[in-house]
Amino acid sequence: VALAIAIPVFGQIDPLPPERAFRFTARALNPQTIEARFAIADGYYLYRDKIRFSVEPAAAGLAVPPLPEGKVKEDQFFGRVETYRGGLMVNLSLKNAAVGQKVVIVAESQGCADLGICYPPQVQRVTVALPAASAAPSRGGTQSKSWLD
Amino acid sequence: MTRWTLLVVAAIIAAGAGVYFGLSGRSTRDASTLLALSLPNTSGHQEALSQWKGKVLVVNFWATWCAPCREEMPEFVKAQGEFGPRGLQFVGIAVDEPDKAERFAQELGLNYPVLIGGYGAIELSRTLGNRVVALPFTIVVDRRGRVAHTHLGPLKPSELRAIVSQLL
Repeated sequence: VALAIAIPVFGQIDPLPPERAFRFTARALNPQTIEARFAIADGYYLYRDKIRFSVEPAAAGLAVPPLPEGKVKEDQFFGRVETYRGGLMVNLSLKNAAVGQKVVIVAESQGCADLGICYPPQVQRVTVALPAASAAPSRGGTQSKSWLD
Repeated sequence: MTRWTLLVVAAIIAAGAGVYFGLSGRSTRDASTLLALSLPNTSGHQEALSQWKGKVLVVNFWATWCAPCREEMPEFVKAQGEFGPRGLQFVGIAVDEPDKAERFAQELGLNYPVLIGGYGAIELSRTLGNRVVALPFTIVVDRRGRVAHTHLGPLKPSELRAIVSQLL
């Protein structure tokens, strides 16, 4: 059924650029915790094992928890792979960041669309200002970049 | 008016007419920038695309991490075998690591060359119609060195055959 729907649609719909298909945001929940989110557009998916997070400066000491389980898909070349649809939220920890410090959360991801296309790995960066302990969560400013740029 | 302005105007006109311009379409653009490429094969030896001038050249951008790319390639193997003697030449440009591309090429029994594309190669596909720089992206060049067709996404076997039959 999915194939029957996808084929006629494919010729008419413009695929999204990757930074819109896989929109990355991050915000500080407190000085030690960053909420990282991917909003994944309908009909698009990310590969779990291609997602990487890092922080700049590295001295801020990012700790990434195990990512949630994805939907299992059998790939004829890579075997068992897991994918995310809809969205993904992860709370990242900063071990050595200072209150009020600005950090850049770097998210690498790779995904595809049901239309039958895949995007090269993408790198998106969000600058987050860490709040004082009592401050409200602060949302970061997003900047997307393809690995090709 | 620059070539880019002309392309933008053409895209707007095509969109207004309800014709989708980006995923698949006929084209008459010059393929000289593509044919001027020289890329390493999986063994590291440079291969110039100009060596296939005069043939109907199907350049397919692909990667092992792209399942839709891998799924359409057996059809390319069939078409190369069937139409190769009449002057059809497939060339795969892998946006990938050489060893992974080589492993997949061997598993599939690819009967056409695989070159390893860098940033320049995939960026070139953007100028030839691959606006979101996704894969698979296929460019068909006619015997005169003009881009006859571009296609983003898997090419249906019937469409592939119709395109190349017309050009051979």
